[in-house]
Amino acid sequence: MTHIVVDPVTRIEGHLRIEAEIDGGKVADAWSSSTMFRGIEIILQGRDPRDAWAFTQRICGVCTTVHAIASIRAVEDAIGAKPPPNARILRNLIIASQCIQDHVIHFYHLHALDWVDIVSALDADPKETAALAQSISDWPLSSATYFKGIQDRVKGLVERGQLGPFANAYWGHSAYKLPPAANLMALAHYLEALEWQREFIKMHAILGGKNPHLQSFLVGGMATPVDPDAQASLNIHTIAHFKKLIAGAQEFVSKVYIPDVLAVASFYKDWAGYGAGVGNYMVYGEYPLDDEADPELYLPSGIIRARDLSKVEEFDPSKITEQITHSWYDYAGGADAALHPSEGETNPNYTGPEPPYERLDTGKKYSWLKSPRYDGAPMEVGPLSRMLVSYVRGHEKVQGLVNHVLKTLGVGPEALFSTLGRVAARAIETQLLVDKIGDWVDELADNMGKGELRIHDNSKWEPESWPADCMGAGFHEAPRGALGHWVHVKDGKIARYQCVVPSTWNAGPRDSGDVPGPYEAALVGTPVADPEQPIEILRTVHSFDPCMACAVHVVEPGGREITRVKAR
Amino acid sequence: MSERTPVLVLGLGNVVCTDDGAGIAAIHKLIREYDMPEGVVALDGGTLGLSLLPLVDSADQVILVDAISADGSPGTQVRIEGDEVAPAVYERLSPHQIGVADLLAGASLLDRYPDRVVILGVVPDSIELGLERTPAVQASIPELVERIVEELTAMGYPPVRSENRDEGYGSAAHIARTLGV
Repeated sequence: MTHIVVDPVTRIEGHLRIEAEIDGGKVADAWSSSTMFRGIEIILQGRDPRDAWAFTQRICGVCTTVHAIASIRAVEDAIGAKPPPNARILRNLIIASQCIQDHVIHFYHLHALDWVDIVSALDADPKETAALAQSISDWPLSSATYFKGIQDRVKGLVERGQLGPFANAYWGHSAYKLPPAANLMALAHYLEALEWQREFIKMHAILGGKNPHLQSFLVGGMATPVDPDAQASLNIHTIAHFKKLIAGAQEFVSKVYIPDVLAVASFYKDWAGYGAGVGNYMVYGEYPLDDEADPELYLPSGIIRARDLSKVEEFDPSKITEQITHSWYDYAGGADAALHPSEGETNPNYTGPEPPYERLDTGKKYSWLKSPRYDGAPMEVGPLSRMLVSYVRGHEKVQGLVNHVLKTLGVGPEALFSTLGRVAARAIETQLLVDKIGDWVDELADNMGKGELRIHDNSKWEPESWPADCMGAGFHEAPRGALGHWVHVKDGKIARYQCVVPSTWNAGPRDSGDVPGPYEAALVGTPVADPEQPIEILRTVHSFDPCMACAVHVVEPGGREITRVKAR
Repeated sequence: MSERTPVLVLGLGNVVCTDDGAGIAAIHKLIREYDMPEGVVALDGGTLGLSLLPLVDSADQVILVDAISADGSPGTQVRIEGDEVAPAVYERLSPHQIGVADLLAGASLLDRYPDRVVILGVVPDSIELGLERTPAVQASIPELVERIVEELTAMGYPPVRSENRDEGYGSAAHIARTLGV
């Protein structure tokens, strides 16, 4: 039995640490730990709830919008504000464009390097790459000259020692299966995706002003004026600009991203048999399509248990709890209590080893993440959960896209419960959203045409209009999965605030019954060819799109080293 | 290709993590106290990483303002330029360093690395959760702002002291006041 440690697992903010026992070339058991403390809840106590979004937005540098959306929804739910239709539409546009950009970046810039060997790409024959690219898509950038140019550019960087994001990887590892030609195609698309995302995210600049953080959020609506004829508003020119960006996104996703995922997947079909995880899937639902109290959602909510695709349970927010049996916190009610987030407590109490340390004592407390549970069970959240719930609920577009991918790869629906299934579901969701987002632009244009220009419900702006004591919850499907904020407002101030973020659901530790969380369960059975270079572990963990910045964001007291990258 | 920005001044860091927010505090103080001349854009970039790429790769010169782990006591002023920038963002910056490294690498991969990148910053004491800077770092912010002004002046873009600013909802001043920077 070999014990290995991967720390940190993510290249982006925050520290996720995986410890695993390897036996017979496979992961026998695994523990997921966050080694940083999170506590935005503590900062928010006593503040004006209308300002909470500006703070929660700063939790995470990767998901710029998601904590703002969840926060304004939670506060609106508490005080009874009703955003007008245009605010719903603008939020849908912000949420969908964030999700589209995030998924593309995740695949090309964070996850692809687990599957694509960049060094091998430098040895590829550009002619072969051109033949491959032309066989899978009619995307125009596919000539041998073009691929040769890409190869030369990256060779130049490597020769100058400017590997940048390509440093610290496991190049040449036996687990890389793509032929050199496919590696070069993926490398070219890595660069194209970088270029494409910088254009597409102008959606946010248009919706939220020139400041890099969207500043147009407002409890009760949005702060972006809508007026077809006014210059400083979302106007008819904006609509045309949106349409152009969306058309470009549709091209890129359908002609580059989807074909690439299918091409990569065809070489890694064995990964449809690894990484299944807990097999329970939870979705809060997203993209309200009307302004009723219980709106129809484009991606519906629901719970799937034990990989049973014959039924979906209705989601009931009261069944969410967080446990701390294996987390470095205290609960007033004892270590085995399970608290609903509306009654949640954030009392840090670090009892782990003094850093730097070799191993965590995983029999005791071993993470700064709590263990969220739904009806007592661990739940996977994210694009795979969303696509599965929509699939089972009969969402025609989702069924069509999922069936197309399964058919192309020649696999059955059970292949979705896997590392590869998560990669595919993320791509499918991206296609779904680039095809849908234009409808919301049309809806906005229709409202402009009708003179429906309202963006904000002023009636609940003043604290005097609020109940003296009220509670609310804000649910959102962030790119990485189900995100909830819970707020208790008392005498116009925040009395209690709790966030339960997607990476806590997926990366959380074992619970009071010693039941593993989704990462921990997904890693069991994953093959590891070389314990010194556990790229296979990264594949499965990265397939969840971990973002520890939201889950945790403060270096623990005692100050461990914050900058060294030990594993990519 | 979008239009070029002659000089971009970008504050970086996490404002809810004490001294990691030094660059954000400095950029907001700069915006509050000075008018930027034509050709200069000054923004709070937070920890947005790759999302800042369109701003950085369309700028000719970039001044990044950040907390920098370096030798010296907390609050010590640090300036990094040229060949020292790449290793610094990989090894010496604050917890969002990978985001900054990816940002600069992205500009480089697209062949649009700015002609000049300067990092101005101060050495942090703590980057634990908290909205306030530690005393030594807070005391260093005015000098950091002065150094940004000097850098801009040396580039030929002297900012001008001003009291005129937009206090409307969602404006930089409004957000700065909300976040306490």
